[in-house]
Amino acid sequence: MKLTIAKDQLTLGLQSVQNIVGSRTTLPILSNVLLRAADNQLELTATDLDVTITCVVEAQVVKAGATTVPVKKLFSIVRELGVPEADLEVDDKHSCAIRAGASFFRVNGLPAEDFPPMPNLADRKKVTLPQDKLRGMLRRTAFAVSTDETRYVLNGIFMSFKDHKATMVATDGRRLALTDEEVDVAAECQGEFIMPSKAINELTRLLQDKGEAEISFSENQAAIRLRGENVPPVTIVTKLVDGSYPNYRQVIPAESRERIGLMREEFLQALRRAEIMTSDKTNSVKLAFGKNTLAITANTPEVGEARETLAINFKGREIAVAFNPTYLLDALKALDVDEVFFELTDELSPGVLKINGPFLYVIMPMRMN
Amino acid sequence: MFRVILHLDMDAFFASVEQRDHPALRGRPVIVGAPPHQRGVVCAASYEARQFGVRSAMPSVTAGRLCPRGVFLRPRLDAYRAESREIMAILREFAGDLIEPVSIDEAYLDISAQCVGATADEALANAEPLARRIKAAIRERRRLTATIGIAPNKLLAKLASDFRKPDGLTLVRESEKVAFLRPLPVRALHGVGPATEAILQRAGLLTVGDLQDHPGDLRALLESWGPELKRYALGLDDRPLHLGDDIKSISAENTFLHDTADRPTLRACLREQAEEIAGRLARRRLAAHTVQIKVRYGDFTTLTRQLSLEEVVTEARDIYRLGCWLLARERLVHRPLRLLGLGVSGLVEIAARQLALPLGR
Repeated sequence: MKLTIAKDQLTLGLQSVQNIVGSRTTLPILSNVLLRAADNQLELTATDLDVTITCVVEAQVVKAGATTVPVKKLFSIVRELGVPEADLEVDDKHSCAIRAGASFFRVNGLPAEDFPPMPNLADRKKVTLPQDKLRGMLRRTAFAVSTDETRYVLNGIFMSFKDHKATMVATDGRRLALTDEEVDVAAECQGEFIMPSKAINELTRLLQDKGEAEISFSENQAAIRLRGENVPPVTIVTKLVDGSYPNYRQVIPAESRERIGLMREEFLQALRRAEIMTSDKTNSVKLAFGKNTLAITANTPEVGEARETLAINFKGREIAVAFNPTYLLDALKALDVDEVFFELTDELSPGVLKINGPFLYVIMPMRMN
Repeated sequence: MFRVILHLDMDAFFASVEQRDHPALRGRPVIVGAPPHQRGVVCAASYEARQFGVRSAMPSVTAGRLCPRGVFLRPRLDAYRAESREIMAILREFAGDLIEPVSIDEAYLDISAQCVGATADEALANAEPLARRIKAAIRERRRLTATIGIAPNKLLAKLASDFRKPDGLTLVRESEKVAFLRPLPVRALHGVGPATEAILQRAGLLTVGDLQDHPGDLRALLESWGPELKRYALGLDDRPLHLGDDIKSISAENTFLHDTADRPTLRACLREQAEEIAGRLARRRLAAHTVQIKVRYGDFTTLTRQLSLEEVVTEARDIYRLGCWLLARERLVHRPLRLLGLGVSGLVEIAARQLALPLGR
């Protein structure tokens, strides 16, 4: 393999794939990036066996071929290069020589044949949606994903493509975020699956403002192809969470007693300030809705208290509910609308945060001792 | 102010509660614990049963052999716990917060402030009427008897209460503590178990008197623990009372009638234990960061595995779920279990409990 490549192309390619490589890998080759050169393109692939990321960048290929080299090492070298172009040449002992201006490096690699084979991508269902739409959906749900490894079916976002609608749901058993968007879904491409958090994180990192995302999926795998403007194409292939997602519809209250409109930014700032006076022991804030006011209080014995008063439009019956402020803040931060609607029934029933748009957030209150 | 410490020990507590609640059992040898033909142990034996040699922690099969006419009863732990709370409340009337509950039927009280005297012996003597009032209050209001030891520290107070039971009251004066300790076997001292006892025996040290007379601080025999033991042998102990009931862990365990690997049986067992633990957490307004599982196989090999979580758990179904998860992750049920236990630790006080979404299972 022999090629000449622009520093920024190689940097883009490595940036896209290297994040999935852990610092401690079980197999030495998993620390390496697979490089394949052909047809004036360099394809870079990295994997942790669960998630595989491939990126294709431009290069002048003199001699086609493939090899693997330690990705962190290569990335460090490329970042520090003082000239805009580099020559890569790999000998038959998998040793990769890098020449750039007055610099020379030789990095020992491993044979490309030893790299885990790419999963088979044929015969899948396909759905295409704009990248910014997908990014918005992930942003409105990912914060509610459970990090508790003992609840592995909740360690991802549930995605459903049905009836010309994409629905995404995340929950950790205490709060649940749901969003949907209209999407073209061919009849034979309907389906649902749970995408693991690790793939969600990579996807969130790689999604752009423009361009399309093509999601294709089978029983146990999904691939997301990202085609943007002025960025190299990236493909993420991930295993899916094996298990059935709980019936989330049953936890969405059919109706609530009160529906209260709140200015998002004002509510968010007040909660942020009140949160200062919470602690591990008392990680709750009380929301007391009275006539045209909302009082947010936090009280930690021996530490002190906070009280925030908001003028709101509320004529209903007085109601006071305690919530974990983090759960409220997570959602308010993920939204970009001006107004949110909080639906409440009583102090032990779930609250529902809604917007004028495709978003719904069910949050369980805290019971004061 | 001179230190005056009481050690109170309820007499044959579980068995006495049963005899009080069931008059027909009075005067009969009552053995609380597993039935005599099943595996399991004696939790408590009435004084009538003790005359036959029955002791707590003895296998029930042995107890049945020693005392064939014994009345075996299943323990009613909830009733004993409720009784214990009543008794601790009585103790609080006398000693305020200066109480260290050691177990369900045992506590240390620091009554130094109520028993001021010109000398240590005078202060200790002043405690005797108070101790009699405590015993009377427990007898009249709970219809149970207690034994009390009075001494200048915890070590001696405990030994004093062991001195004469049941319904006893023993005072060990500062001036006679060395003589009181002399005839006792070394094993009687706090911290001396079979290992230390064996080392001391090999050195020819059998009684506390032998330790008192031994030149030097025992460091040659017991390393750093030697000087401390020497101090105990001379009746010196400045360990403070552990006040408050800041418990560190809560657990429940069951020994099966027959070793079992039957999943539904094990799950039912864990579910019950999780309910019990969650109830105890809720009563104390606590939440747990760590869940632990314990298994014992037929050959008595015992393993424990634990999992620590960022988010605290309070609910029975979470404790149960994590217990099941630990058993599965570690593949612990690869052969039948004799015992299964579930526990929580890393306890923190919480002001409010996060409710869970009814997501179902």
